[in-house]
Amino acid sequence: MIGVNNLTFSYGKDKEALHGLDFTVGEGEIFGFLGPNGSGKSTTQKILTGILKGYGGRVSLLGQDIAAADTKELLKQIGVLFEFPYLYTNLSAVDNLRYFASFYPQERVRDVMELLDKLEFKKDYLKKPVASYSKGMRQRVSMARALLNSPKLLFLDEPTSGLDPSGAVLFRKIIEEERGNGTTVFLTTHNMVDADLLCDRVAFILNGNIAALDTPQNLKEQNRTALKEPTLEEVFIRYTGRGLEE
Amino acid sequence: MRGSFVALLKKDFRLCVSGGFFLLALGSLILYSCYINLVYAKLDQEMFPVYRYDPGKAGGERIAGVTDVGSLNELEEACADGYSVGLHINGDSVFGGKTEIIMVSCGIERLDHIREAYARSLLFQEDKTDALGQAEIIGVNTREMKNRRDMTAEVLFFELVAVGFLGVASMLFKEKQMGVIRVHAILPVSRIQFILSKLTLILSSDLLFAAVLTVINLGMPEGLKALPGVLLQAGILSLVMALVGFLCAELLPDFKQFSLIYLVIAVFITTPVFLSVQAGVEMGWMRFHPMYHLFTAMKNAYFQVLSAGGFYYGVCAAAIILLFLAAGWGLGREMKKEG
Repeated sequence: MIGVNNLTFSYGKDKEALHGLDFTVGEGEIFGFLGPNGSGKSTTQKILTGILKGYGGRVSLLGQDIAAADTKELLKQIGVLFEFPYLYTNLSAVDNLRYFASFYPQERVRDVMELLDKLEFKKDYLKKPVASYSKGMRQRVSMARALLNSPKLLFLDEPTSGLDPSGAVLFRKIIEEERGNGTTVFLTTHNMVDADLLCDRVAFILNGNIAALDTPQNLKEQNRTALKEPTLEEVFIRYTGRGLEE
Repeated sequence: MRGSFVALLKKDFRLCVSGGFFLLALGSLILYSCYINLVYAKLDQEMFPVYRYDPGKAGGERIAGVTDVGSLNELEEACADGYSVGLHINGDSVFGGKTEIIMVSCGIERLDHIREAYARSLLFQEDKTDALGQAEIIGVNTREMKNRRDMTAEVLFFELVAVGFLGVASMLFKEKQMGVIRVHAILPVSRIQFILSKLTLILSSDLLFAAVLTVINLGMPEGLKALPGVLLQAGILSLVMALVGFLCAELLPDFKQFSLIYLVIAVFITTPVFLSVQAGVEMGWMRFHPMYHLFTAMKNAYFQVLSAGGFYYGVCAAAIILLFLAAGWGLGREMKKEG
């Protein structure tokens, strides 16, 4: 579903952000991409979603080399949840979603009300402008936008950020459901609980290189001797030498 | 494709409504129209001094408002103030269609066709001995109509330069602030459509504004006659200013810095144009000022004088295309930014 071979990217001379990443993500897999700030996570995601060009190496999505593929056609099959809930604050949740839905082929678009219902969005806020919503409510609308076009490939950046514990549980359930429907999920997060509970495999990225890539269970097993009952976060710190928030 | 564009257009329309853009335009329309109708149209303005050197007496008898001079040197001296209009009439008969009227001076280097229009109107008026010493009729215009055309052109120019520029920028700054421009990077919609929807909205709004302002202040028959030329010039100016506003909003980080640029445009770019065209302040470099040409073209459109040629339209088209490409580049840059 995602194939990355020797991916390099530079923001200018001496500003190399990626140093030859190699990984693949299979269909229906939840792949965690973890790293401290400035490690190259966002750059990788921007390349994968077609925002950044001028990279080195080869990237394929849904079986197509993105350098040669029709970007618009690819984007019709991709859903993206950004780290921050970017929405039109003067419009309501429903109007926002109907607006974003208008760019996708109608046969791919899900029912807006059903989606919001599934995300347990407060009904009395449906017609109110987003400016009056809490961060959790905005995050629900953003998640609905990411799922709007029944994506085959879902990029999620900190999906449970701003949610209360029950909201986070609901989001994890929805992500699992999406995977159950065959959607591939590329998850970028600082939340080790999310990564541990959701991901089939995780990659630790540091300074534009992949420091480790395996299942959370294997990574913990491999480090059991050094750290008695290691958590995924402790394993991450061991590989990268840095905390996630650094 | 069409559905996406309509969605973008609807969204931009709602942004404009929530930002009070149309309300501001309506307020400006009322304010300008009240000023023109209640104050400016009734002003007995000094007309431009017109000097004529007519060695062959082709222009016939003395004309009120036109001062005859005896030589070309005298004509050039009289017009040295950069404000007066100088006509050198070289031919058998002004009315016979063979006469060559050479504009020795019409303000600034022969570019100000308003004064030319005024001077010509003196030559061609029916009653050439008007007691006031100034033309009551300028071509087909009464003095009041001349005032109306003058001021309507000015306020429309100001509105399109200042308010239209501000309108598109405030819309884009709002979207930047909300972060939604980045969302469009992952939507199957082209940057061209994103820019075009804003341009279409601002252009339609400006053209509607121009049409209503013209009809209200010139009256229905005269307004309709001037409208094709006015709409053409308004369309060019609207597109240029909307694209400049779009580009500034993309490149500048916040509205505060944009306000500074707005001031620079208002003070250093448009003020010299007004000073040059209206007050006759001589500035040799004015012919290289693009706003000067846009302003004179707008004024001439109100006087139904065809002044702009192929070169002018070619430069306008090139400027619009270049600004459009720059806006597309700026949009791509904005989309790549971090959250």
